[in-house]
Amino acid sequence: MRLFGTDTELLEEAGCDVGRIAECERGLVAGLLEGPRADIHVHIGRDQDGHELDVQGLLADMDAWGIRRTVIFAPNDPGAHHDFADANATVRRSAAVAPARLMHFCRVDPEVSALSVMEEAAAHGACGLKLHPVAQGRAPESAASIACVRRATEFGWPVIVHAGFGARALADPLLHVLDAVPGARLILAHGARGDARAVCAALADHPGVWFDTSLATLSDLVILPRERLIFGTDRPYGDHATALQLIGLAARLAQWSEADVRRVLVGNFDHILGV
Amino acid sequence: MRGPEAVRLAAALGAIEMALVRRDLVVGPLLAQAARAARETDIAPLLICAAEQTRADDFFADTPPAIARRKMTQALCRAAAHEVHAELLVMTGIEMGAS
Repeated sequence: MRLFGTDTELLEEAGCDVGRIAECERGLVAGLLEGPRADIHVHIGRDQDGHELDVQGLLADMDAWGIRRTVIFAPNDPGAHHDFADANATVRRSAAVAPARLMHFCRVDPEVSALSVMEEAAAHGACGLKLHPVAQGRAPESAASIACVRRATEFGWPVIVHAGFGARALADPLLHVLDAVPGARLILAHGARGDARAVCAALADHPGVWFDTSLATLSDLVILPRERLIFGTDRPYGDHATALQLIGLAARLAQWSEADVRRVLVGNFDHILGV
Repeated sequence: MRGPEAVRLAAALGAIEMALVRRDLVVGPLLAQAARAARETDIAPLLICAAEQTRADDFFADTPPAIARRKMTQALCRAAAHEVHAELLVMTGIEMGAS
């Protein structure tokens, strides 16, 4: 059994009151629409900051929370050559454990062999790109980042862009990217909370822009267009329970219909990934 | 939850989130204070449970059990923050449901 994505054995070893924590967790999702769910934002591997998740843990969480499919990609573990080679390989191996349920994206540092890393990933069945402008210290509108978005778009891949903590102003840089690569499909992680007001004003109705809900703020989710929201957890930083709680609260406050909730929880994922 | 309680809790939970990330010793006192402020509200169980975690002697240790305990604390606080934000959004009557 797991609570908030952590083995209860470990919690018991820590002396936690597992029963009470389980009760708290259950209460968060009471009343949320049942049915298939899909998660667009999960890191597999070990981040430099110590956060880690392996494929067995993820599959256990998916089973527990009714998650049909998950997109996985590397955490911030660029490796000795800064090219994410080992981290991407770990993600690929993990996806191969449950290929019908796990779809893998390629993570790159745009300035470090990125296009050849993407070619290799495409040859191994990757279906998207992950860019983290903050962790890699690369502006999304830089020539190298745009080259990655362009190649991803040629592959037919969507691009998840970190748009949460630490992000600098995003609206104008992302408009620049979309002007340079008109067919690009950008999924702004964390509901673009790093620059939500400006992004929402400039980009919310842009046909190439989507928002994932992982670790987003409720105040952003209730005003972002629901037809552009894709459920995500950001495991292992986030967890399924609070991620689903957030959807339940947004649905109640913004008066989403059942069809809206289904779209956010699975329909938009299926649409953007073509499944 | 009344307006002043919601504002107080939203402010406290923002500070607690950062203190947890920074492993700041102030986490325990802040959470105890937040749990008292939340008394008789729906989020009280979440914050009482979170505050109890911080009383462990090894709360900031680097062992797997201590890391798991901190993650649990963080998740419980995140859950409480979501509920408080929902209350505040209702109270302020923010325009929602753009589509």
